[in-house]
Parts: sequence; structure tokens; C-alpha cells
Amino acid sequence: MAGTLALTKAELRRLMHNRRYFIFTVAFPVILYLLIGRQVTAQAYGVAFGAYYMISMATFGAFSGALNGNAQRISQEKKEGWIRQLRLTTLPANGYVVAKILVSAATTVPSIVIVLLLGRFYGNVHLPGWEWPVIAVTVWFGSTIFAALAVAIGYRFAPDQVQPVTLIVYFIFAILGGLWFPLSGFLGKIGQFTPTYQAVKIGTDVIQGVAVPAGLAIGLVVWLGIFVVLATAAVRTTAEAV
Amino acid sequence: MSQHETGYGASGSGGGDAEYGRYASGAEYGGSAIGSEHDYRGRTAIAVETGHGNGRGAPVVSFENVSKHYGGLRAVDGLTVELRHGETVALLGPNGAGKSTSLDMLLALRKPTSGQIRVFGDDPYHAVKSGRIGAMLQSGGLMPEVTVRELVELVTSLHPKPEPIETTLRRAGIAQFADQRVDRLSGGQTQRVRFALAICGKSELIVLDEPTAAMDVETRRLFWNSMKEEVAAGRTLLFATHYLEEADQAADRILVINRGRLLADGTPAEIKARAGAKRLSFRLDNIDEPFLLGLPGLVNLELRHDVVQIQSSDSDATLYAIFDAGYRPREIEVTSLGLEQAFLAITAEDDRANGHDTTSGNGAN
Repeated sequence: MAGTLALTKAELRRLMHNRRYFIFTVAFPVILYLLIGRQVTAQAYGVAFGAYYMISMATFGAFSGALNGNAQRISQEKKEGWIRQLRLTTLPANGYVVAKILVSAATTVPSIVIVLLLGRFYGNVHLPGWEWPVIAVTVWFGSTIFAALAVAIGYRFAPDQVQPVTLIVYFIFAILGGLWFPLSGFLGKIGQFTPTYQAVKIGTDVIQGVAVPAGLAIGLVVWLGIFVVLATAAVRTTAEAV
Repeated sequence: MSQHETGYGASGSGGGDAEYGRYASGAEYGGSAIGSEHDYRGRTAIAVETGHGNGRGAPVVSFENVSKHYGGLRAVDGLTVELRHGETVALLGPNGAGKSTSLDMLLALRKPTSGQIRVFGDDPYHAVKSGRIGAMLQSGGLMPEVTVRELVELVTSLHPKPEPIETTLRRAGIAQFADQRVDRLSGGQTQRVRFALAICGKSELIVLDEPTAAMDVETRRLFWNSMKEEVAAGRTLLFATHYLEEADQAADRILVINRGRLLADGTPAEIKARAGAKRLSFRLDNIDEPFLLGLPGLVNLELRHDVVQIQSSDSDATLYAIFDAGYRPREIEVTSLGLEQAFLAITAEDDRANGHDTTSGNGAN
């Protein structure tokens, strides 16, 4: 475990040099929130639009960071032989993947914290104190599970294929999940099955003060299960070739 | 002037080599250069005491009838070999001979189709994970976006018996660019960083796949000098190469493999001897060709006017037979053939024995 943590630390240090990461995970949701968060006065998901948009933007930034950061890097590092190189060290066999997920879990935090702070002090979202950590943790969980999907994509696809594949996944889960704008009708119905929707909806239900349906939480756990299975399969099948 | 052939040792002299050779005090310069720069191992002493199967302690590595098949291709075919403590062993073969596949299996990156590999009596995976093997792969990548020092620190921190960072940086010759980013290095520099990762812990066995591939002559010399330090510290070294010169000068034991099979195993001198690797030349009047063709040890015969050139597996016996027959040849020269000719002879013999076209090369993959 010490080795895995050492690698995690090194990965985090790398991330500090990476401008792309900050643009996608922090700058994008912040800018969108500043542009739109206070302009719309309607309601969404039964709460003020500003509150909904705060949660959806926090989820968006975190989800996008978990997905974009890892898939491309893993694919690149697999191609360049860094994963092979690590297999020659005493790092445990799953150390690399565990470190990637730990890093993701850490990198989803800034966008969540920043957007929630913006919501409180710029968007005038006022909530009882206990609701903030509940919302933060829900959003964090709902987005970090995408780190596992990123592992699956990174192992399965070559670097030049990763970009389009991630982009498709990104649009599907961002739009169907209602991260950019709330969906209604048929698409809205399908969207309810996405983890991104589920994370946001748990947050707005908490704000609205209604009981959170168990289905939402179960949905998130099921998605985590699906992504972990995909990731494990991808890592296993490519193990010999890496 | 014949000396300007030995001017080869003057690798650092830059342009105008032919001129240089003519005016330099030939033999002296060439001799010292070859002695100090090119005979990395001081092999004459070592060649006598090594050899194989002489029972010194348990094997560091053992391959027992190991095969690896990819579909119909036999990349490695029934390889059986043992490495012992303190040996420097070159794995020599053309591209596609199965060198990398063999090393990959030794390093637990691939599983043998059949057979068994033991490293320090354990399976390869555990040997790697306990830090007993330090390895450098041909295809080993580096983590981008970090500095060389950060990377070396990371890999060192993973090792159970780490060397001090500064020692590793110095031995690998990378101290002067330790603060540069890994993704901004030249090919040769990258190669040295990979090497640093192989020696950053006190591993007992060092495995290197084509270690000097991207290195220039000077870097290569530095590299083998630091390798010498590693071996002197009691480590066992196995390296794959297709540079025959390198195997000849750096290794005290050579394993020749071709199409996945072990063709020869011995000291560089033994390998050369096996292939009839002495060249005899002399002048002789009234040449009797059938007599020459019947000489003991003869592998090849060339005649030009009164000049006879013989490639022989036992040059002494060949010469004595000529004297015994009453001939008195003039200007006798006996020279060792390079490992290259020996290697070509061994692989060609193998290719012929297996009904392969020797002219089409061996590049199976």
C-alpha cells in the first residue's frame, strides 16, 4: 500500500502541472455557473434554478475531471510502456489502477468545493449547514465512479481512439444526466437512469426537503458496479499484452 | 600501413580518420585505446573461471524446457538454461530470435506456454515483486510531466532496498539533467533514465533488454563502465543484444539463440572456436587443392594466386598437418575471426539444418 500511495502522490504532483485539467474540471463549470446560475429564475427539480445549477455544475466539473483526466493518460501510458515499467517494480499488480482512482477521487474535490462556495456566496443559495456536506459527498461519489469507467476506456482503446470515445460518453452522461439543462419528456425519462442525474437529483431532493427515493442511491451503486466490472475486464484482457 | 585498422579505437578523434591513422603512432595508440576502452570486462581472466554448469551455488535463474507460442509461431522453443551468481551473460540473437519474449517471461510480463522458470528458486512474479530483479525493457516507458529526479525518487521509493538517489543518478550518468522533465529528453538520455530505474535498488539480478540501443559511442562506454561496478558489487547481469561486439566485450558468457532455440552457450572464445573462428592465411607455391581441402579443422578455403586463406575450427591442427606434409608456407598469419562471423556461422548452420533459406534473414517478427 505504501507503494501505491507513493505513486498516488507522484500522480497528484503531475496533475499540478497540468493546465488542461484545470480548464476542464474547474474553469468550465465555474464559468458556466457564473454565466447562467443567476440568470434563470424558473425552478428545476422542484428547487430554485440557482440551487439546481450549483449542484449540476459541481457534478459536471467533477465528472468531467474523473472521466477526461484518466482515460487519455492510461491509454497513453499503456502505449508508451510506463505500465509495463511499473510492473517491473515492487508495486502490487493493481497498484497502478488503484492510484489512478485515488487521484481521481482527490481531483474531483476542487471543482465541487469551488462551485458550492460560488453557489453560497454568489448564487445566494442558503441551506441548513448539514445539507452542504451531504450534497458534496453525493456529488463526489456520483462523479468519482466515472474514474472506473475511465480505467476501462483507457485500457481498452488506443490513445487516438480514446478522445472520441470519451467525448461520446461525456456528452451522453452530461446531457442525458441533465447537467447542462434539465431535460423533460422522453429523453428526461431515459436520463433518469444515468448516475449523473441520480447524483444531482439526490442533491436537489435534499434541498427540497423531500425524502430521497432509495432508487437513486441504489442506482449510483449499480453504476459503480458496472464500471468496476468493465474496468476489471479491460485490465485483465490486456494484461498479457501490456 | 596496417595499423590504421587498429585506429578503430580512436573513436573520439572526429573526422579524417584515415588521415589520423596514417600519422598517429599507430600500434601504440590503437593498442592502448582497445585495451582501456573496449575490453570492458577484462575478460581474459574471467573467461577461464566461468563457463557453465560448474556447480557454484544455486542457480539465479533457471529455464526448464520453456516454450512460448503465439498461434503457430514458436517465439521460444524448449529453452533450457541456468544462470549462476555473478555471471555477466549476453543473450545474443537476430531480431525476432525470441530474446525479448524470453526476458518478458523471466520478468513475469508474459506466461510461458509450457515449461518452468525459476528466479532465486521462486516464480518470476514473486522475484520481481520482492525487488530481487532490476530490469530495463526495450519498450519501457517513463512517466511524463515529472522531472528525472522525481521519477527516480518515485521508483526508488517502491524498492525494498533502495540505493541513495544521488548514487543512482551518478551511476546512470543522469545527474546533470536530473531537473529536466522526462518528456523532454533525447533518446540516449531516456535510455539512461530507464537504466537508472533498473539500478535504483539493490537488486541481485539485473536484466537489460538491448540496453545501449539509442546510445552513442561515448554513452555506451560510460554505460558499460557503470555496469562493471554493478557486477563487481556481486550482481548477476543478463542482457539481450544484437551488437556482437558488445556481447564479446562485456559478457563472460554468451547464449546464442535463433528462432527461439538455444544454439550455443559458452564464453566468447568458445563460441568463436565452435564456429571455426580462426583465419589462417599464408603464401604457398604449387598449391595442391585436394590436399588443402582435406586438412583437419577446415571450415572454408579460399585461393587467390599463391595466397591461401583458410577458416579453421582448430588452427593448430590445420597448421601442423600442413607442416607434416612437408609444405613450408610463407607469411603465415593466424587471426581470430570476430564473434560476428562465428555468430553468422552458427545461425546459418542452424538454418541449413532446419531447411530454411539462409539468405532470407531470420526476422520472424
